[in-house]
Amino acid sequence: MLASPLAVEVRDLAKTFRSGWLRRRETEALRGANLRVERGAIFGLLGPNGAGKTTLLSILATLLLPDRGTATILGHDVVRDAFAIRRRLNMASGNASFVWSLRPAEVLSFYGRLYGLRGRALRVRVGELLERFELLPHLKTEYNELSTGLKQRLALAKALLNDPEVLFLDEPTLGLDPDVSIRIRGQIAELRRERGTTIILTTHYMREAEELCDRIAFIKGGRILAEGSADDLKRQIRIGDVISLRLEPAAPAGLAGLPGMMQLQARRDHVECTVDSSEKRLPEILRWLADHGVLVRDCQVHEPELEEVFVELAR
Amino acid sequence: MSSRAEPLSAVSSRAGWWGEEWVRLTAFAYRNLIMARRNVFFLFELTFWPGVAMISHGLLTRFLDLTPPMTAFILVGTVALSAVQVCQLDVAYAVLFDIWSKSMKHQFLTPVRIHHLALGSWLVGVGRGVIVWALMALIGSQAFGFDFLGAGQLHVTMFLLGCFMTALVIGLLVCALVLLFGTRAETSAWAAVNFFVMLSGIYYPVSVLPGWAQALSAGIPLTYFLDGVRAGYGFPSAYAHPFAIGFALSLLYVILAHWALAAAVTRSRRTGLLLKVSE
Repeated sequence: MLASPLAVEVRDLAKTFRSGWLRRRETEALRGANLRVERGAIFGLLGPNGAGKTTLLSILATLLLPDRGTATILGHDVVRDAFAIRRRLNMASGNASFVWSLRPAEVLSFYGRLYGLRGRALRVRVGELLERFELLPHLKTEYNELSTGLKQRLALAKALLNDPEVLFLDEPTLGLDPDVSIRIRGQIAELRRERGTTIILTTHYMREAEELCDRIAFIKGGRILAEGSADDLKRQIRIGDVISLRLEPAAPAGLAGLPGMMQLQARRDHVECTVDSSEKRLPEILRWLADHGVLVRDCQVHEPELEEVFVELAR
Repeated sequence: MSSRAEPLSAVSSRAGWWGEEWVRLTAFAYRNLIMARRNVFFLFELTFWPGVAMISHGLLTRFLDLTPPMTAFILVGTVALSAVQVCQLDVAYAVLFDIWSKSMKHQFLTPVRIHHLALGSWLVGVGRGVIVWALMALIGSQAFGFDFLGAGQLHVTMFLLGCFMTALVIGLLVCALVLLFGTRAETSAWAAVNFFVMLSGIYYPVSVLPGWAQALSAGIPLTYFLDGVRAGYGFPSAYAHPFAIGFALSLLYVILAHWALAAAVTRSRRTGLLLKVSE
C-alpha cells in the first residue's frame, strides 16, 4: 500500500470546552477546521489569542479528543490509533514544564524510556540531544533553576527523543531573547532539512512564520480563514503591493484605469499605486508612462508584510 | 531533502515487546527513585512518621499494660497503616509529580499505558514499604520486645504483599481523582488511606464497628490481611481463608481501579483537564 503523501489531514474538526457545574459555560474552540499538510513541510498556524491554534495542535497530538470531525496523522486516526501514532509524533511548547527537581539528562532519560529506549541506545540519544541543544554545561542544574531559554531548548530536545516524523511546536520561541530565537529557528529548519520531519508550528511572530513555513494557515474563532504560502496569502486577501512613483509631469489621467490597479492616491510629490502584483504590473506601468511621455524620477515598491495580512484577517 | 533514517522507535521495537514494556514500566520507577534520593522529605516519609507511629503506639501498649499478643494486635495495625501509606504515595506520585510541576501532558504524549505508570511507581513503593516495615520491626523488637516474624514468615510475607496491593488500589484511585478533579483532589492522596484503614479494623477487631461499617469493611481487602496476620499471632480468624479472600478482592479492585484511571485519563482528554493541569 502506498503511504499517504499527507502527514496531517483534518476534516471538519470541532471542539467545545464546557465548564461550570451550575452555570454551564461553553467555549467553541474549533468550529469545523479543515487542513492538509504534506509530508516534510513546515506548516504555520497563525491567529490571535484564543483562535483555536493550541486546541487544534493538542487534538493532533492526541492530548485532546475532538467533539466532531476526523484528524489523521500519517494515515492514522488520532482518536482510534492514538497509542500507535504517539510513537511517531512529538510536541514541544513554549511554556513547557518538566518535573522541577530533575536535571536535563534525567528529564530526557525518563521520557526516552517512555518511548521504549533503553541501555546504550538511550544513553547515546540523550547524549546527542544534550550536545545538540548545548545543554551539556548544565548537567548538574535542576529544571526549575534553568533559564527560560535553556528550558525551551530542553523542551525541544525532549520533543526529538523518538525522532518524530511529525513534530508539533506550540510557540517554540515564546519569550526568548532574539539570539536564542534565531538559534532555535535554525534548529527547526535543520530538522526538516536533515530528517525530513513534518513540522507544524504555532507562532505569534510573523517573521518566524515567513522565514520557516512553506505554508501558513490563519485561524480565527475556531475556523481556518485562509491558507497558502506567505505570498499566496498576501495575494488572497488583496492588500496589494504599493508602487510609489515620483513623476514629471504629474500623473496623467488614465493611470488609474490600468489593469491590476486597485487604488491610486496622489500625494504631495508622488503617487501611490496599489496593484495586485508589483512584479507583474510595474513593467506595464513604466511602459505606459513612457508611452505617455512621463518621466519617472523615483520608483519604490513596498510589498505587504505578513503582519499586515495578520491584522487584516484578525479584524 | 535527505532521506529519513530508520526511526528510533523502530530500532527500539526490535528489543521486543517485553523489553519495551519493562523499560516503560521502569521509567516511573527511575523517576520516583531520583526524586526519593534528592528530596529530604522523602526520607522523612520513610523514617520519621513510621518511627513516631511505632514508638508512640508501643508506649501506649506499655501504658495500658497490654499482653504480648494484644501488643502484637495493635502494632500490626501500626505497620499496616505506614506500609500502605508509603506505598500508595509512590503510586500517586506517578501523577502528582506531574500535577505539581504542570508537566502532565508530556507523559500522555508518549506511548505509555496506565499499567506502566502504576506498576513502575508501585515497584518503588514496595521497596520503600519494605524499608518502612524493616525499620518498624527493628524499633518494635528493640524497644518493645515485639517479634514481627512471630506470625510466621509466610503470614508476614502475605500480609505485606496484601498491604502493597491495597496501596496499589488506593494509589490508582487517587490518580483517577486527581485527573478527574485536578489539584483540588490532591489532598485525597493524603487522606484516602486513613479512611480505608479505619474501616478495616486497624487497631481493633472489625466486630466493634457498627453494623453498616462492618458491611463496608467486608469489602476492603486490608480487613482480611490484618485478620490473616493476626491469626499468626494466635487471634482467632473471623474468616476461613482470609488471605485468599484478600488477594481475590485486591485483584478485582486493581482491575477496577485500573479501569477507573483509564476512564479518568480519557475524560481529561475530552474535557481538556489534561491540558489545564499542564499549563
